[in-house]
Amino acid sequence: MREILFHFFAALTIVPAFFVATSRKPVNAAMNMMVSFVGLAALFVLLETYFLAILQILVYAGAIVVLFLFIIMLIDAGSSPHPRLLRFLASLAAFALMVFAGYYLIFGGGAGPFAEITAEAPGNLSRTFGVSLFTTYLLPFQMTGFMLLIAMVGVIVLSRKFESDETGGEQ
Amino acid sequence: MTIGLEHYLFVSVLLFAIGFFGVLLRKNTLVVFMCLELMLSAAILALIAFSRYNTTPGAPLMEGNLFVLFIIAIAACEVAVGLAIIVALWRRHQTVELDEITELKH
Amino acid sequence: MELGTVLSIILLAPLVSAGLIWMFARQRAALAMTLSLGAAGVILLCSGWLFFGLWDGASYEVSTEWLTLGSFKLSVGFLLNDLSALMLFIVAFVGFWIHLFSVGYMNDDGARGRFFGGLSIFMFSMLGIVLADNLFMMFIFWELVGFSSYMLIGHYLHTDEAAQAAKKAFIVNRVGDFGFLIGIIITYWTFGTVSLTELEQAAGIRPEAVTTLMGLLLFCGVLGKSAQMPLHVWLPDAMAGPTPISALIHAATMVAAGVYFLGRSFFLFTEEALHIVAWVGVVTAVSAALWAFAQRDIKKILAYSTLSQLGYMVAGFGLGTLYGLHHAGDAQTALYYGIGASMFHLTTHAFFKALLFLGSGSVIHACHHEQDIFKMGGLYKTMPLTTLTFAAGVIAIAGVPFIAAGFFSKDAILYVAKSTSAPAFYLLTGTALLTALYMGRLFFIAFLGKPKSKAAEKAHESPWTIVLPLAVLAVFSIGGGYLILYPPSLQVLIHDWVPHPHGADHQLMIIISAVASIVGLVLARVIYGAGAKTDKLETTLPPVYAISKSRFYFDEIYLLYIRKVQDRLADIIGFLDTLVISGVLVRGTAGAAGLLGIVARRLHTGSVSTYVWWFFVGLVLFGAYAGGFLEGILK
Repeated sequence: MREILFHFFAALTIVPAFFVATSRKPVNAAMNMMVSFVGLAALFVLLETYFLAILQILVYAGAIVVLFLFIIMLIDAGSSPHPRLLRFLASLAAFALMVFAGYYLIFGGGAGPFAEITAEAPGNLSRTFGVSLFTTYLLPFQMTGFMLLIAMVGVIVLSRKFESDETGGEQ
Repeated sequence: MTIGLEHYLFVSVLLFAIGFFGVLLRKNTLVVFMCLELMLSAAILALIAFSRYNTTPGAPLMEGNLFVLFIIAIAACEVAVGLAIIVALWRRHQTVELDEITELKH
Repeated sequence: MELGTVLSIILLAPLVSAGLIWMFARQRAALAMTLSLGAAGVILLCSGWLFFGLWDGASYEVSTEWLTLGSFKLSVGFLLNDLSALMLFIVAFVGFWIHLFSVGYMNDDGARGRFFGGLSIFMFSMLGIVLADNLFMMFIFWELVGFSSYMLIGHYLHTDEAAQAAKKAFIVNRVGDFGFLIGIIITYWTFGTVSLTELEQAAGIRPEAVTTLMGLLLFCGVLGKSAQMPLHVWLPDAMAGPTPISALIHAATMVAAGVYFLGRSFFLFTEEALHIVAWVGVVTAVSAALWAFAQRDIKKILAYSTLSQLGYMVAGFGLGTLYGLHHAGDAQTALYYGIGASMFHLTTHAFFKALLFLGSGSVIHACHHEQDIFKMGGLYKTMPLTTLTFAAGVIAIAGVPFIAAGFFSKDAILYVAKSTSAPAFYLLTGTALLTALYMGRLFFIAFLGKPKSKAAEKAHESPWTIVLPLAVLAVFSIGGGYLILYPPSLQVLIHDWVPHPHGADHQLMIIISAVASIVGLVLARVIYGAGAKTDKLETTLPPVYAISKSRFYFDEIYLLYIRKVQDRLADIIGFLDTLVISGVLVRGTAGAAGLLGIVARRLHTGSVSTYVWWFFVGLVLFGAYAGGFLEGILK
C-alpha cells in the first residue's frame, strides 16, 4: 500500500513540476506549482513528518503561491513565446546530464547500502519540535524572526514609488 | 518493494533537475523564480528523508526537520523580497523578460 | 683624542661641508666659500696636529666591517703610515692654499656654490684614497675622485668645450679603471684579502703568487688616473676647467693618486712588471716634453709639463724599486727606494706645479681670461709678485741645483735610472733639458719683453688671496729639498727612503743636473727671445713644429675608433634593446595582460541566462569533484 501511495504522490510532485518549467502562461505555471507542493506535502506525511507537512501547505502552497499569483496579476504578464530550439535542446541536455548523474550516484552502488527504515520514532510530534526550537536552536529561531522583520521592511522599501518613476504603477 | 531512502533521494534529484531545466530554459523572470522554488523544495525533501531514515529509536534525529523548518521560513522571506525586486524591475523596464534586461554588460 | 677619531674628522669635514653647501648654499656664494674654506682649514689643522705630536710615527691601522655578502666582506678603515702621512700633508697643505686662491680667483663667477661644493667633495674623495686601508675602499674613492673631476672640469656648463672635456676625462679614466678592477679581483682571488697590510704579509710569504699580470692590471688604473700613455689624452683637455681645479686636481693631487697607489701596492709588482712600468713612464715623459713646444695656451703648456713630470714619477717608481731589489744595502729600506724617489718628486711637483698653475691663474685673471702666451708679455712690470713667484716655480721645475726642490727629487730619479738602465737614463736626462727649455720659453715669452695686447697692458697685481698662496708655495718650491721645512714625523720617508748618490756619483749627478737645467734655460732665452710675438720654432723649423703639434695623432686615432667601431656596436646593441627588451619583454607582457583583460571582459554579457549557464558549468565541475571523477586529473 505504502509503495503505491509513494509512487502516486511522487508522480503528483514530478509531473506538475515539469509543467511549471514548460508552461507558456505564468498562471498555469503557478497552479501547477501549487499541485506540486501538495504532492510534496503528501510525501512528507508518508515520511511521518506531519508537522512539516502542514507547514508546507500553509506556507508554501498557501502563502507563496498566492503571492506569486498576486504579482502575476499585478504585472499582467501574458503568455511567453515558444522557446528557441537550440536553447531547449541545450537545457534538455543539462537536465539529462543531471538525472543520469543522480541515478548513477544513487543506484550505481558507490553510495553504499542506505539506511533501513526503523519503526516509527516519536520525534515527529510538534512537541519535540518545540522543545528543540526553544532550547538548543533558540538563536537560529530568534534570527529567523529577525529575518522576517527585515524582509518585511525590505519589501516595503523596495516597493515604494520613487520620484523618477514615470509609470502609473500602483502604490 | 520497500521504499528505501534511495527512492526519495531520486525523486529529490528529479525535482531539482526539473527546476534547473526551467531556470535554463525560461525567459520570464517570474517563471524562473518559480523553478527556483522547485529546486528549494527538492532540497527540503532530501533533508526530511535523511532525517527520517537515519533516526535510531532511542534518539530521534531532529536536525533535518528543524533545518527544513528554517528553510521554509527563509524561503518565505526570500520570495517576498524577490518579488518586490521584480516589481521594481518591471516599473523601470515595463517588462520582465530576461533578454531585455541587459544593462549590466561590459 | 684617538688617532682614528682625528682621521675621521679629517675625512668627514669636507663631506659635511659639501652636504651643507648642497642644502643651504647653492645660491649663497659667501656661505659656500666660508664652508669650503673652513673645511680645508679644519683638515689642515687636524693634519698639523697629527704630524706635530699626536702621531708617533708608527704604522696605525683601524677598520670596521661595512658590507657582508656571504663570505665576501667589504670593510672601511684607515691606514696611516709614512707614505700616507706624506700624501696627507700634501693634500691638506696644498689643498688649503688652493682653496684660499679660489676665493679670490672665482670672485666673478656666478656658480660659486656649485664650485665650492665640488671642491669639498673632491677633498673628501681624495682623502679617502689617501687614508684607505684596503683596495676596495680605495677603488670606491678612486671612482668618486673621477666623478669630482668630471663635475669640476665641466664647471663652465654652457661651453661645449668643457662638457666634452669632462666626458672625455671620465670615459678615459673608466677604461683604465676597468683593468684596475680586474686586477683587484685577481688579487682578491689569489690572496683572499684586499687589506693592504695583510696583502703585504701574504706577498712576503708567497712571493710566487704575485704575477706580472696582476701588477700590470693594477697599473691600468694608474694609466688612467695619472694619465700615462696611452691613456694620457684627457689631461690636456681637462684644462677647460677653472684654473684652481687644474692646479689642485690635475697637477698636485688627483693625478698623483696613481703614483701614490703604486707606492701603496709596490709588493704586488714583479720585476717584469716594474720594467714595463718604468718604460711607460719614460715614454710618457719624453713624448709629453716634445709636445709642449707647439702649445700657445699657457695652461696647455703646463698640462703637458704635468704629463711629463708624472712620467718621471712613474719611471722613478719602477726604476727605483728595481734598484732597491738589486742593491740591497739595508734590506728593509732599500725596497722602498722606488716609493721614496717617486713620492719625493710627487711632493716637490705638487709644490711647484700648483705654484705654476696658480701663477698662470693670477695672470689669466689679471689679463681678463687671455690665455695665449703670445698675447701676453711685459708682465714683470705690472705684476712683480706674480712674476717673482712664477720664476721660482720655473727654477724649481728646471731643477737648478740646490736652489730648487725639483733638483733634489729629479736627482734621485736620474740616479736610480743611471744605476739601472742606461737608455732610460739618457732619455730622462734629455727630457730634463727639454723641460727647462719649454718652461723657459713660457716664462720669457709671457713675462718679459713688452705687452703684446691691450689686456696685457692693463694687467695689475692680483689681490692678497691670490698672491699669498703663491708666496707660500714659492717658499716650498725653493726650499722643498731641505728637511727642515717638513714636520718631524714626515722626515723619515724623505730622509731614509729617497736614494742618494754616494761619492763620485754625487758630483757627477750635480754636474749633469746643472748642465741640463741651466743650459736649457739659457737656450730658451736665446732661441725665443724675450716677449716674442711669434714662435721661433714654428717659423724656422716647420716640420719639427708640426710633429710636436700633432702629439703623435693619439686623439685622432681614438676618435676614429669611436666613430667606426664603438658607435656601430652601440647602434646594434641599442637596436637589440628596443626589439627584445623593450618590445618583447616589456610591451609583450603588457600586451598579454591586456589580452587577458579583453577576454575576461567578455564574461560580462549582462544576460542572466548566460550567467546561469556558467553556474551550471561550475556545478558540473563541483559535482565531478565531489563524485570522485577528477581524482585522476588532479593527481
